[in-house]
Amino acid sequence: MSAGARVLIIDDEEIVLDVCREILEGDNYTVATAPDGAQGLSLAEEFGPDVVFVDLKMPGLSGFEVLERLRTRDPSIVPIVITGYATLASAVEAMQKGAYDFVPKPFTPEEFRLITRRALEKRRLVRETIALRREQEMLRENFAAIVAHELKAPLAAVQQNLLLLTVELADRLTDAQKERLARLRSRLDDLLKMIDTWLRAISADLGKIRERFLPTDVAGVIAKAVETVQPYAARKDIEITQALPPSLPAVHGDEGTLGEALTNVLSNAVKYSSAGGRVGVSARVDDERILIAVTDAGVGIAPDELPYIFGDFYRGRAGVTGEAGAGLGLAVTRRIVEAHGGTITAESMPGKGSTFVITLPVRRAAEAARDRPEAQNRPVAPLGGAV
Amino acid sequence: MSEKARVLIIDDDPDFVDGIRGVLEAAGYQVDAVYNPKAGFEALKRRPPDLLLLDILMGRGAEGVMLARKMRKDPQLSQIPTLIITGLREQIAFLFPGQAVHPHILAVDELMEKPVDPQLLLDRVKALLDAAARRRVAG
Repeated sequence: MSAGARVLIIDDEEIVLDVCREILEGDNYTVATAPDGAQGLSLAEEFGPDVVFVDLKMPGLSGFEVLERLRTRDPSIVPIVITGYATLASAVEAMQKGAYDFVPKPFTPEEFRLITRRALEKRRLVRETIALRREQEMLRENFAAIVAHELKAPLAAVQQNLLLLTVELADRLTDAQKERLARLRSRLDDLLKMIDTWLRAISADLGKIRERFLPTDVAGVIAKAVETVQPYAARKDIEITQALPPSLPAVHGDEGTLGEALTNVLSNAVKYSSAGGRVGVSARVDDERILIAVTDAGVGIAPDELPYIFGDFYRGRAGVTGEAGAGLGLAVTRRIVEAHGGTITAESMPGKGSTFVITLPVRRAAEAARDRPEAQNRPVAPLGGAV
Repeated sequence: MSEKARVLIIDDDPDFVDGIRGVLEAAGYQVDAVYNPKAGFEALKRRPPDLLLLDILMGRGAEGVMLARKMRKDPQLSQIPTLIITGLREQIAFLFPGQAVHPHILAVDELMEKPVDPQLLLDRVKALLDAAARRRVAG
């Protein structure tokens, strides 16, 4: 960044200003000079220097004051003090006040060039650090949106080309081939939708889904979730058995997200089951709560992993077929269930299988809870919060 | 339209551009593509197209939005019918918090989500070009 770099020199000795200007302009720097602190500071404002040389001993504003004001205005400017009385004490004091380096008078052109180069290198590093920090903050704030964009962009490109192929090959493909192309597009659509769903679950305030809570039929939610997972289960020859009472009370909730939650748990059960295995879904009412249990006879979860499975980005050790997910399913599930005033727990025996239990308050209790302010204001743990 | 309308695509994803370009070319449009906002702005200045397809999330963020803002300040470029294409509706909402989903960054723009249905794309492009032609006649 040396070419065109901007250097401001503040010194009451005209000869110093002239000599410095001559040295630096010969090296293609842009130079501005000021004879005292006050003028120097106002010049700094409009000139926007990368590096400022300040004489410590000037009439009017002292070099120290100039340093301090420069620092408060823009901490990324690199200040260097010029000192005629090169005592260790004044140099140390200046460094403590934020000076990056000092030039003892008299100095040779080579010394001055070297210090300027070092200061500009420092300036570059400071600016890079600032940019990096800003980027990290951006990343943290918009993590979910960024991840979703990164995931969706390639899928959208694939989908766009499938759509084009469908048009281009319309009169050349057999019906069976067209059907296959349609299935490819539909699978991609599902994936794109899933990313949207997860993005919503992560970034949006899940507490907000409470605003659209309605009486929701749990048996219906279970039936839909089973239906969603059924094709995947069939592919592994896994039977999903249901044990539901003839009727279940409604919960106060959101059918869409509850369905997502249950689908997540069910598809995990299928994913971690051996081919030909069995997954069971049962529900019962106990003390104003509905308990939904999903049981599999799959690989199970090691006791040391069990406490972490509802955390963000936790991924189980590979399932029997080496399947892996994004590690968000159970975290999202937990947040959905908690937004409904419920809980989710898991028990497992490695090698024997796992049971996940979702507990939801039945509608009456949930509505009563809604009228209690402390329940209403209870925040939903953000993703990334304590597990 | 007697002569081929010229469409410029500014999008940093060459594969996505190919998917769009094929649809437009098959419908008789002349299509140019530029793969970054800087070159995109230069291409716009050099030879303004009849219609612009603009990806708003390019590079390290919403660089397409910045490009649109630059276009808005330019009397000539601000009148180019623009179809804004983006991956995520939610992201638009997050870029313009508190505003309706369609931000209307430019005077004449429409918003579409990636991926775009080919017929829908052609309909929108034609509607924007027709509206521009009517404005020219009226003006």
